[in-house]
Amino acid sequence: MSAGFQLIHAQPSRSWAVILSWILFAVGISGYIYTAEQRHAANPEDRVTPTLVQMVHSMRDAALKPAEEDEDTPEASSLVQKFSASMLWKDTKATSRRFLFSMALLLPAVMLGLHMGLFPFVGAFFLRFVLFFDKIVALSLLPILFIAFGIDELSKIMLIVIGVTPTIILDTFNLTRGVPKEQIVKAFSLGAGDFDVAYRVVMKQIWPRVLNSIRLNLKAVMLFLFAGEMIASTDGLAYRIALLRRHMGMDVIIPYVLWVALLLFLVDLSMRLVNRWLHPWFKEA
Amino acid sequence: MSLIQAQNVCVSYASRPILEGINLQIEEGEFVCLLGQTGCGKSTLLRLILGSEHPTRGRLLVDGQELLQPDRTRGYVPQKYSLFPDKTVLDNITFGVEVSQFGLLKRFTPQFYRRRREFREEALDYLRRVGLRVTDAGKYPEQLSGGMQQRVAIAQALMTRPRILLMDEAFSALDPGTRREMQTLLRELWRATGTTVIFVTHNTHEALHLGTRVVVLAKDSPEQGSREMLDLQVAENCQEEEIPRLVRRLENASRPPFAEAVPAMG
Repeated sequence: MSAGFQLIHAQPSRSWAVILSWILFAVGISGYIYTAEQRHAANPEDRVTPTLVQMVHSMRDAALKPAEEDEDTPEASSLVQKFSASMLWKDTKATSRRFLFSMALLLPAVMLGLHMGLFPFVGAFFLRFVLFFDKIVALSLLPILFIAFGIDELSKIMLIVIGVTPTIILDTFNLTRGVPKEQIVKAFSLGAGDFDVAYRVVMKQIWPRVLNSIRLNLKAVMLFLFAGEMIASTDGLAYRIALLRRHMGMDVIIPYVLWVALLLFLVDLSMRLVNRWLHPWFKEA
Repeated sequence: MSLIQAQNVCVSYASRPILEGINLQIEEGEFVCLLGQTGCGKSTLLRLILGSEHPTRGRLLVDGQELLQPDRTRGYVPQKYSLFPDKTVLDNITFGVEVSQFGLLKRFTPQFYRRRREFREEALDYLRRVGLRVTDAGKYPEQLSGGMQQRVAIAQALMTRPRILLMDEAFSALDPGTRREMQTLLRELWRATGTTVIFVTHNTHEALHLGTRVVVLAKDSPEQGSREMLDLQVAENCQEEEIPRLVRRLENASRPPFAEAVPAMG
């Protein structure tokens, strides 16, 4: 006997699915606006929940005026010039640079994982150490890093490297091990050498999965990056958020948080598109 | 001297015996089917000839040499994962000749691109011979049916002209009709190329249909490793009415006395 309606087998229509998917956004935004109105009615000086108008106003300043700590730059005329001297641009640029550096350093991690998985001697040499390293809570190393490397860029990048590379190495290692033995034997039987197998067979096969694994770890990269910036930095998005906390600058903090989310979403999306474009044969499980 | 010689070959995994005292001579140009029940070690014997595993005791010689690892003299078609999923059908077939003639760096020379055009012509020829259309050349393995994938795998293995072609349950995942077609195709290719074929199967009919020789592996008791129970030459013009008798003979040999209850093999 069927109960008359289906749960697991339900097939919501497209419009229903779209409507449902936006409800929580609508509730969140309208809830915020309502709260802000209430608080401002009670206290016009309220700084905890800035109104939309205040946030838009502050963000226009952030995107068009230089940061407070900067010298007044000569009066810029065009919009592009204003933006490129602005606080938002300066912070985004600083954070992006660190982010790209760390992403570039993930490449050696991928290569190490590949070789560990494929060459037993390399695996025997590194695996135990990486497993140990993976268990170290990277943030607990932060003081050590600041003492050892100083509080400049290097320590922040090192934090990301220490925090994320073990995961990427082990992930790549497991993906390499997951390539069926038949593939490797087959390649040898066709005349391939060890390095042909490594780079032309195994590496090409695991790349899309490695990229997905990096995508999943973007959050971790950003986490360590922000931790580093908040504690010791003179620029960057997280530095700004930490700085404005002291002035209760919620009118900038909230848009900044959303801006970071948007940027991360765009990075993730572009990686997914590039992955699909580079590996048309790959079907996501 | 025989092309492949197994001299008292024993294999055990963690002191569990798999093969015990295998002595086998295989001549150039033979089509040998290794027949036996699941777990009798027929695939292990194949991997020994392939060179991806080594005997615990005894010697296995191919062309008088002990093997170090798989190489291009012995082609391989497994049951699953036989094609590289990231390469198109055509690139799968040319992979062997490309990789054995052009190293990692030589791939970037103009010569490579000139030669590759010839490779591709040849690969298309192989593609037609195994019964695929030219329009399939640009597809990825996942877009092909199981039977078509195995056709490509055979073309891929033959393209490097191996002396020995090793097939491990290569048709076992296919439906009966496709399997019959593939058997006919393989017989034709074997006649045309003169390659020595070693074909592992658990299917008695398939073994009789394909091979010029059927070697049955089975155990005397569960604690022992397998040995050759029967080594049967199959006449080229084997009569249809003879088949049931041969099937019975082979199945009796591969069904060890201690396992009466095991149902007959399909």
